[in-house]
Amino acid sequence: MTAVSDPQSVAALVAEANDNRVNLDFETEGMTLNMGPQHPATHGTLRIIARLDGEQVISAEPMCGYMHRGYEKLTEVRTYPQINALINRIDWLGSFANEVPFILAAEKLMDVEAPPRAQWIRTILFEMSRVANISLFLGDFGLQLGGMTAGFYAFRDREWVLNQIESATGGRFHPNFDRIGGLKDDLPKGWIEESHTAMDKLLAFCDEMEDLLVGNEIFQGRTRGIGVIPAEIALSYGLSGANLRASGVDWDLRRDNCPPGLVYDKADWKVWTHPDGDCFARTWVRLQETREAAKIVKQLLDTIPSGPVMAKVPRIIKVPAGEAYVATENPLGEMGYYVVSKGDLVPFRVKIRSASFNNISVLPWVARGAYVPDLISILGSLYFILGDIDR
Amino acid sequence: MSSADTETPEEAAPATDDAREAVLAEFTSRLGGGVVGSHIRVGDDLWIRVDRAHWLEAAEVAKSMGYRFFDFLSAIDWLPSPFGRDMDAQEDLVVAGTPAKEPEAMVQGYAGGDTRFQLLARLYSISAGMGITFKCDLPDDDLTAPTWSNVFAGANWHEREAREMFGFSFDGHPNMINMYLPVDFVGNPLRKDFPLLARRVRPWPGIVDVEPMPGVADEEGEGE
Amino acid sequence: MGLVESGKLPKPLAKLLNISRKYSIWAYQWGLACCAIEMGAAFASPRYDVMRLGVIPFPASPRQADLVVIAGTVTDKLAPAVVRLYEQMPDPKYVISMGSCANCGGPYWDSYSVTKGVDQLIPVDVYVPGCPPRPEALLEGIILLQERIAHEDMAARWKGEPIVIS
Repeated sequence: MTAVSDPQSVAALVAEANDNRVNLDFETEGMTLNMGPQHPATHGTLRIIARLDGEQVISAEPMCGYMHRGYEKLTEVRTYPQINALINRIDWLGSFANEVPFILAAEKLMDVEAPPRAQWIRTILFEMSRVANISLFLGDFGLQLGGMTAGFYAFRDREWVLNQIESATGGRFHPNFDRIGGLKDDLPKGWIEESHTAMDKLLAFCDEMEDLLVGNEIFQGRTRGIGVIPAEIALSYGLSGANLRASGVDWDLRRDNCPPGLVYDKADWKVWTHPDGDCFARTWVRLQETREAAKIVKQLLDTIPSGPVMAKVPRIIKVPAGEAYVATENPLGEMGYYVVSKGDLVPFRVKIRSASFNNISVLPWVARGAYVPDLISILGSLYFILGDIDR
Repeated sequence: MSSADTETPEEAAPATDDAREAVLAEFTSRLGGGVVGSHIRVGDDLWIRVDRAHWLEAAEVAKSMGYRFFDFLSAIDWLPSPFGRDMDAQEDLVVAGTPAKEPEAMVQGYAGGDTRFQLLARLYSISAGMGITFKCDLPDDDLTAPTWSNVFAGANWHEREAREMFGFSFDGHPNMINMYLPVDFVGNPLRKDFPLLARRVRPWPGIVDVEPMPGVADEEGEGE
Repeated sequence: MGLVESGKLPKPLAKLLNISRKYSIWAYQWGLACCAIEMGAAFASPRYDVMRLGVIPFPASPRQADLVVIAGTVTDKLAPAVVRLYEQMPDPKYVISMGSCANCGGPYWDSYSVTKGVDQLIPVDVYVPGCPPRPEALLEGIILLQERIAHEDMAARWKGEPIVIS
């Protein structure tokens, strides 16, 4: 710096130098964007620390644990029925679906089989919880991308399914209805006809969503080609459910490895896959799955056998020693419980394999190079529930 | 598959599971001496216990055999809880003056085991429609294992969780930071000797009589 | 308003102000877990519409909110964020703790990572029990809060006594 006596010209020189530096070297990289933990576009308290280069993401690291409630430790001090009440709250949208793999694992260890009527109703409620869960996904995804109408429609039409679940089980969600050996209660009178009506309304809702979202130009622009996950990556990360089927892998635990206790083989239904692996594919697969689930429910409603809903199990459940892993096709993906029992009232260890944990672990990989708005699309289409990630 | 109402726990299906036996045989032959225990539940699942030196190779062999879907990776702590069952039943209330119960022996589960901590992992083959559950002993003084995250990318997060919950370390893991717990959390929660403080401080206020087993004195009461 | 702070506000005017305040609540949803869905059903669905009570949901930020509904489990990791949120809200502010997790820890009362009740962090005005509480229960909680606001002594509130969060 030359010694210049006039402070005004010094200031002018400094300003010019700064200006030149900016024009030469446009410093835009390295901004760290912190999304969350409370953010309207994350389904709960997920925090994502994204390093940005301009508008593009260099790395996106999700920080979980803001909803970690310690399920696996809590299951070590609760009896099986108590755990049943607790695990409803893992995937809190499709709550009945959380109970089923755990109950099936305990039934496997106890070598108890639920009577046919209970199996039918279990499957029906399972599919209803899938419909309730994914219909909110469709609405919420629209909401996140800016189409708020879809969100309101989803909340409204979901009420039909929740009404049915409530009239059968007593709770809109967190039904706590499944029991080792069957179900808590039988269905109320008139439930079957009402459920038919509810499922018809849900099918109409799916058509409405297809109109609103899938055909929408903006929606397609924001989701086609975004967040492509090839099948091999999906398998090595353990993606499951619609995320995997949208990458072209034809695998559905309801058809392929259905645990005994659910009666999917008694209905005529189809597994939907999509070869693209992008956000649009995942949404589309989920839309078709909702339709398919409603159809399964309608078919099973017509063929419910009569009989008891509870097998003969002792009043106090002591599960014999052993280990069992049962996984089912939950609305979010593959959810499984690895139950280690020592023959006591209380399980020794329960490892909860939750679908969203694996589904979100792919985020650092898939978010590289994406734009920030695309991050919202990717997050929304991967579809997770925080309770499922954090357990 | 209906289970016959007889004493035999197995179904009236073939007593051997040929498909899983074949998988076990092929795996053993490809891994060499690494397989130290196994268990098959007919028609259901296959457990293979490998020793730590072959833990990473087991993943690679399984992946090459078609088990490309990564299910989960966690661990089991086989120590019986020193806090008892921590149950809210009347029969579990410790009455002052009664002698403390003998600590139970540590018994591992399927496929055996010698140590307190065992790694537990599961892989699945979509083409074969079967899964393999892997176990691996970890010696108490050296709770480390090679990382699976280079073979299965999903193992990254699972190993982070196992580390903070049990206190292991995984060699070669790229990003070993806490998954769930806050940074200043002290202890490894899923160890059996980690107490749930709320239950230590006082019993659950909702304690009620548990209905006794059928045949014992008939008191009325609600279970659960 | 000097009259309000010093307590010299004439009673009919105070009553009018209270009534107008209770029917113009802008409620911020701090939806964490399952209760957030029921809160969403209460606030956003046409069936349990909350706007008929004068409560408008979805403010753009907590700095514009009067009421915060803490719905869901508060974990120790999230606790600083809850306190920060509360501090960001301008006075007079109200808190509804929705669901048993926020009231007292709920079904996770013995967990190592759950804050046993959000009232350990911030002062709560109304507790709505339930797991999850029905949307109608949340609406009842809001009505209770409105009754409380209607009978509130504004001088005490506006005097500026700091609410200590320790």
